[in-house]
Amino acid sequence: MKTRGLTVFIQYVVSIVIALALCAILVSATGGSAGKVFGALLDGSLRSPGAWGLTITTAAPLLVVAVGTIVGAKAGMSNIGQEGQLLLGAAATAYVATTFDLPGPLLLTLSFIAAIAVGGFWAGIAAVMKFTRNVPEVISTLLLIFIASQITTFGLTRKWLLLSEENTSRTNNGEPLPDTAKMPNLHIFGNLVSWGAVIALVFTVVVGLVLARTTLGFRLRMLGLNSRTARRFGVSAVGIGGGALVFSGAAAGLGGGLWLTGGAAGDRFTGAISSNIGWQGLLVALLARERVALAVPMAFVFAALRTGSGFLAATGVDRRIADVVQAMLVLALLLPPAISSLQRHRKGSGMAV
Amino acid sequence: MTTAGSGPTEGPAGSAAGVGDTSPAPAVRLSAITKRYGSVVACNGVDIDLAPGRVHGILGENGAGKSTLMKILIGLIQPDEGTIAIDGDIVTIADPLAAADLGIAMVHQHYSLVEPMTVWENVLLGERARLDRVAACELVATISDRYGLGVDPLARVADLTAGQRQRVEIIKCLRREPRIIIFDEPTSMLTPAESEQLFSVLRTAVVDGGRTVALVSHKLDEILHATDEVTIMRGGRVVDRSATSSATASSLAQAMVGRPVSLRSEAAALGLIDAAAAAAAFDLDDGPALEDHAPVVLEIRGATVLGSDGHKMLDDLSITVRAGEIVGLAGVEGNGQRQLGDVLSGLVHLDRGMILVSGKEIDTAKPGDLTDARVGVIPEDRHDSGCVLDMTVAENLAFGALTGLSRNGVIDRKAMEVRAEELMKAFDIQARSPNAPMGSLSGGNQQRVVLARELSADPVVLVAAQPTRGLDVGAIEYMSERIRAAAIDGVGVLLISTEIEEVLTLAHRICVIHEGRIIGEMAHHEADLERLGLMLGGVSA
Amino acid sequence: MNAFGGSLWDVVSSATMYSSTVRFAALMAFAAVGEWVAEKSGTLNISVEGMILTGAFTGALGSFWLHNPWAAVLMGVLGGLLVAAIQANMSHRLAANQFVVGLTLNVLAVGLTAFLDAQVDPTVVRVEELRIPGLASIPLIGDALFNRTWVLYLLYPLVPLAWWMVYRTRWGLEIRAVGENPQAADVSGVHVNRRRRQAIYFGGACAGLAGAYLTIGQSGSFAADGVSGRGYLALAAVIFGGWTLKGTIAGAIVFGFFQALGSAYQALGYQANPSLLTALPYVMAIATLLVFAYRSNQPAALGRPFIRGLT
Repeated sequence: MKTRGLTVFIQYVVSIVIALALCAILVSATGGSAGKVFGALLDGSLRSPGAWGLTITTAAPLLVVAVGTIVGAKAGMSNIGQEGQLLLGAAATAYVATTFDLPGPLLLTLSFIAAIAVGGFWAGIAAVMKFTRNVPEVISTLLLIFIASQITTFGLTRKWLLLSEENTSRTNNGEPLPDTAKMPNLHIFGNLVSWGAVIALVFTVVVGLVLARTTLGFRLRMLGLNSRTARRFGVSAVGIGGGALVFSGAAAGLGGGLWLTGGAAGDRFTGAISSNIGWQGLLVALLARERVALAVPMAFVFAALRTGSGFLAATGVDRRIADVVQAMLVLALLLPPAISSLQRHRKGSGMAV
Repeated sequence: MTTAGSGPTEGPAGSAAGVGDTSPAPAVRLSAITKRYGSVVACNGVDIDLAPGRVHGILGENGAGKSTLMKILIGLIQPDEGTIAIDGDIVTIADPLAAADLGIAMVHQHYSLVEPMTVWENVLLGERARLDRVAACELVATISDRYGLGVDPLARVADLTAGQRQRVEIIKCLRREPRIIIFDEPTSMLTPAESEQLFSVLRTAVVDGGRTVALVSHKLDEILHATDEVTIMRGGRVVDRSATSSATASSLAQAMVGRPVSLRSEAAALGLIDAAAAAAAFDLDDGPALEDHAPVVLEIRGATVLGSDGHKMLDDLSITVRAGEIVGLAGVEGNGQRQLGDVLSGLVHLDRGMILVSGKEIDTAKPGDLTDARVGVIPEDRHDSGCVLDMTVAENLAFGALTGLSRNGVIDRKAMEVRAEELMKAFDIQARSPNAPMGSLSGGNQQRVVLARELSADPVVLVAAQPTRGLDVGAIEYMSERIRAAAIDGVGVLLISTEIEEVLTLAHRICVIHEGRIIGEMAHHEADLERLGLMLGGVSA
Repeated sequence: MNAFGGSLWDVVSSATMYSSTVRFAALMAFAAVGEWVAEKSGTLNISVEGMILTGAFTGALGSFWLHNPWAAVLMGVLGGLLVAAIQANMSHRLAANQFVVGLTLNVLAVGLTAFLDAQVDPTVVRVEELRIPGLASIPLIGDALFNRTWVLYLLYPLVPLAWWMVYRTRWGLEIRAVGENPQAADVSGVHVNRRRRQAIYFGGACAGLAGAYLTIGQSGSFAADGVSGRGYLALAAVIFGGWTLKGTIAGAIVFGFFQALGSAYQALGYQANPSLLTALPYVMAIATLLVFAYRSNQPAALGRPFIRGLT
């Protein structure tokens, strides 16, 4: 038993080392210096002043998206359209924040409610398609990303929607957020950490507890693991399953709100604001293998790669190497569980003869 | 083996290896075959010889190792130790293709026809030659004619009956001109008449080409009826071998189970239809005396379920079950039992008709309505709708009892574990702890978890669909006793089973299902095997 | 409304419209043919998007380094195959979740091609049109179908080839069997996961071809956001077609038509919001899925991994 745990651990280490080595080779082959790249990534994410605060602020939306995704996955729903849900959530936040004149906390609350509603609605379309017409949500959520993207682009051409009154740049940008709609920061050891990170952590803990301790979480897991047995005991696939899909979209919408108001994404809504936060949140969820607690460190690692990549310009290596590193890490971390599950099945096959 | 002496040496098997004319090498010799799965030894030093021109029975309970052994012979599993010799030459069989090259073929119990494809495509599947439709159809027709199988090569397998499908399976097997054919539990999906026909085909195949046939079965009748010699396995070992003509049902049963067999339910479990029928001729001695005026607890009225193609899976089916009564629903597999089980599990809703439990109508479209009305179900396939393998034993025992184990929606894990421990004790469930994953339990223990959960919910109606399938004799006996005890406690039991023996020994009243409708009904004391056999084949008599 | 209807008719009936429908449809058709074969074998490749993107980039590299369009096409195919190899081996040798692998590969493809594009910055030579005499003179569609770059012409033999492979060869018989009932195929002696991997390789090669067509046949340059979800439209086309090849091609044409409508509408000088026109094919894909997905003739084992002994 112990040796098996050790084997799996070694497998993890080896796959991560191979993934990073491949990235290093890639950097070297294109004329960069792998050492400098990893140094810059560390500087940008942790070592330079104020860096880890920014990393934690960036991790908040990733975590919220990931936790929502995990809830969907536990119920057997493969939502993979977070990028679009998050974009719409950010757009809804921007619209509310720049349209209504309300005191700070109220304005933020209202903005987030709008984000949650819009994100949930967008995933809800996929839920309705699945349960009325049997359209696989894997396909519909993906296609909806592109529609979401065009809707926000459209919104950015209309002043009554998202476009800034005094837009001068060629790319259409949104109205700057009023200060009341900017998430306040905590000051910790000279770092600014958005309150969004606190919201994300509380959200994670609550969802984790609901999944592990309540009858709702129990039913949800039952549905995801064996939908027919679940239905026999009165778990409604439409209610709980559809609900979980909507919830995952709502969480992605909230992630968009946190991302926009957190300050790490600039001070206004733009068409490119989501910039893979949704995808990365999804990857965090996949890596956490449906365990909420694991999503926290994973979100931090991904956020670190993201903030770190801001420091790459000085090394002359394109910042998108960070995306490559992220994806390679995911692939690397997929390998050991795949190997051990295969071994388990090989061993187990033919047992029940 | 000496009995096989001079007879069938003219066959292709004989000419290949029959150099010595006193005693030709057996077509197949398995020597000291051992296969382990972790700490479980599925086969333990098994030696078996199969002679050409003979039908060789391999008899054993579930888990005796016979299926593992046959999978080794067909190349699906590699043995840990031991050798396989074909015509005296030691071989390794890496996969089913290698087995085919050696002339070994298997007629599978399940999983070997692709439904949306045609007969000829299925027959050619796994071949290495070029695809030639015309030649393939001719071939199918030829084999079909030679053995009197009557199969249309252009038919889609999905449109065929279970019996026809098995004939396709046999053609697929014979088409490779195998010298060694393995039949794995071949009659489980057949009517008695179809079984008869199968055995005559099997006999022709042997006499025709000096082939070697291995018939794997857990049914004594079948072995006595259709084989020349028999090997009996128990717990992964060969415990006895003899010529079938010198064996009797009771000697075989004793060797297979390892102790004398007397109990009626055991006789039923072993497929001793005569014993079961004999028992049925008397009253249910220790069974509950059924009150004539017991209230009807389950009433199914005109239930109709349409398949996706509009075909009637259940066709105006009506059944009533009284409190304390065991109603046996007999039928050949694939006649709507699965759909009926799904309906009663709340998984499929009725297109027409209604279900009443204790006189109250059930909304079959609403998940959980049947469970709420206290209808317990032991499903046909527990992995499909009876348990969740990736949840713990305690959690599996808590399905349906969550309200009692939680406060304000928060689960009391302690109470859940305590309850699980109690049930594990009461139902003798072997598991490491209540928190062990369900998937780590053996099949028999998983079935006990399902039984414990369903009976602890204080059911009014218990639906038991194939409750003993895949279990060994001890577990079957336990299951039967529990079902009988539930009925004595006043539960109305609907026993859905393809095993006639099981229905005969347990049920007060027997209904026969054919193509989704009830075509006959008889009380326990007027059970008549001949009539029952006819009805199973679809003749209302 | 009347004016709008009138302008719509002008757009739809224009020669430009036929031409750009074929142009857009071809990209999706290349990929969808491959994905159709893969799905017949029971595997669903989200990574088709990443395969096209990688093929587009390696195709650009081929054109840049080797200055030969054939080499560029070949490089494109190899790029698609590379992604396919990872997908196939991770999900049908190691049994990692195929959606997770596919999704990650898409993210990887976007990052990697964008990164390498920034480092290498390949310049691409676009392949000129090659008019097929006779056929190109067919009224209405002749020009659209037979006065194109030769890279597009590869699609014409590819479609019947794929059909022939799936329905007339032993390989295809096994592919279908593996997609419908892998357990049955396994006991009949078919190597289930090997066949699935091969089907993914075929899908990867086709998607790579689609990418090469995009780069050297269509746009004449590589753009990291150039595929923008059309791999997903190819997936939708297979569903649209109810897992038949002709339906799949029809799906590609329908989605291509709406994409062409978006671009032609503006090219002809009519006013309409560009974002909404860009969204049109995706909206139509959603709409058509609502109409067509509710059919049960999808391969029974689609999306389910096969591990022997596990049913």
